Amino acid sequence: MTDKRQRFEAQVLPHLDVAYRFARWLSSAPGHADDIVQDAVLRAFRGFDAFQGGDARAWLFAIVRNCHVTALSQQRRRAFVPLDSEEFVTPEPGPEDTALQRDASRTAARLLAALPAEHREVLVLREFEDMSYSDIARVLEIPIGTVMSRLARARAALKAIAANEPGVFA
Amino acid sequence: MNCAEVLRVHAYFDGELDAGEAASVRQHLGTCACCENLLADLERTRATLRAAPQIRAPARLRTQIDALLDAEPVRAVPRERPRVWRSRNFWLGAFAGLGTSAAAVALVLLLLIPAASAPLVDDLLAAHLHSLTGDHLIAVASGEQHTVKPWFAGRADVAPTVTDFGAQGFALAGGRVDELAGRRAAVMVYRHGAHVVNVFSWPANNLWRPRATTRRGYRMLFWQIGDVAYCAVSDAAWSELAALEDLMRTHAAIEQRSAPR
Repeated sequence: MTDKRQRFEAQVLPHLDVAYRFARWLSSAPGHADDIVQDAVLRAFRGFDAFQGGDARAWLFAIVRNCHVTALSQQRRRAFVPLDSEEFVTPEPGPEDTALQRDASRTAARLLAALPAEHREVLVLREFEDMSYSDIARVLEIPIGTVMSRLARARAALKAIAANEPGVFA
Repeated sequence: MNCAEVLRVHAYFDGELDAGEAASVRQHLGTCACCENLLADLERTRATLRAAPQIRAPARLRTQIDALLDAEPVRAVPRERPRVWRSRNFWLGAFAGLGTSAAAVALVLLLLIPAASAPLVDDLLAAHLHSLTGDHLIAVASGEQHTVKPWFAGRADVAPTVTDFGAQGFALAGGRVDELAGRRAAVMVYRHGAHVVNVFSWPANNLWRPRATTRRGYRMLFWQIGDVAYCAVSDAAWSELAALEDLMRTHAAIEQRSAPR
């Protein structure tokens, strides 16, 4: 195995699970997440020499997101799918969860799916991946000030949706 | 939920504030019911979301990626490398006669990694914009260098040049500490007529910085004194920012000369 491949496997591939999870929340169907992550990992490998160190996770996430955006625009060009008609298929809870966990898990997935993509991605990065504002800014390629205002709007939107679902915000 | 502190409460909840800022938010929470409710909402939102399904990459994806990486040419380099070397020689040749190696390096860096400096510039803009909203602008309000300078000790990662230039048109209004590229930057706030000038200072590193740049109409002028990097951000004219730089440089030189050996 080459040295580059070894370094890549040590630094980047440990983030495969979270990168897939991110792609899964970005994309509308499970199969798309597979394609996007494959594409992203390959691009990351080819560009690995240019990676200057720093946070490999944020770096990989930025590539995943770019692949997603590219795929989405190609898809739209081909199929003339209007921007807001994308139907989001929510991930299902794992079989090992208890009934109570499965309920909470489905609720969370449903709430997230009801949000616009712009709100969903910033919430996923912050609440699931625990990313700092500056890493989120790098992944989404927006200034930190925008991260802050978008996160606040996303949280307010989520609260508004949850308010219409009895029993979610006890 | 119209309190001006809303964004700071979010930042506090997300662990983005330093100890001093966090303490001031906690103090505010005790006196503001709307922000206290907001914090409770944020906790509920997080708890609700974190119940979401734990997704893992399917095993087939790992297998596919392994196969893809195996199929990548082991050495795409033999074809590519000569080109890289040639281009590097080109740069060496292009600047060989100039004798200004620092300028050459700066120019090449300018061409190669503008993206590397962008986060710093973005951070500076965000910090400047943030300072103009609410009461975040000044943490220690004083036009007295003997108050502001010691206030930075232990709060910021640098001890910058701090002085009032009220007589020259730049009145020191106070200071605060901002997170900047992982460092606690000392920020001096000057008022110049109707303009606010934030002068950020942090330990200089080898990262490339522009000399001057503009973001969304705000001007940023960078300079370095000793091992401290400075950036003045404002909507004031370039000549005004340059005048402030001159004043600070002159003052630093005087400080240096009179410092006990």
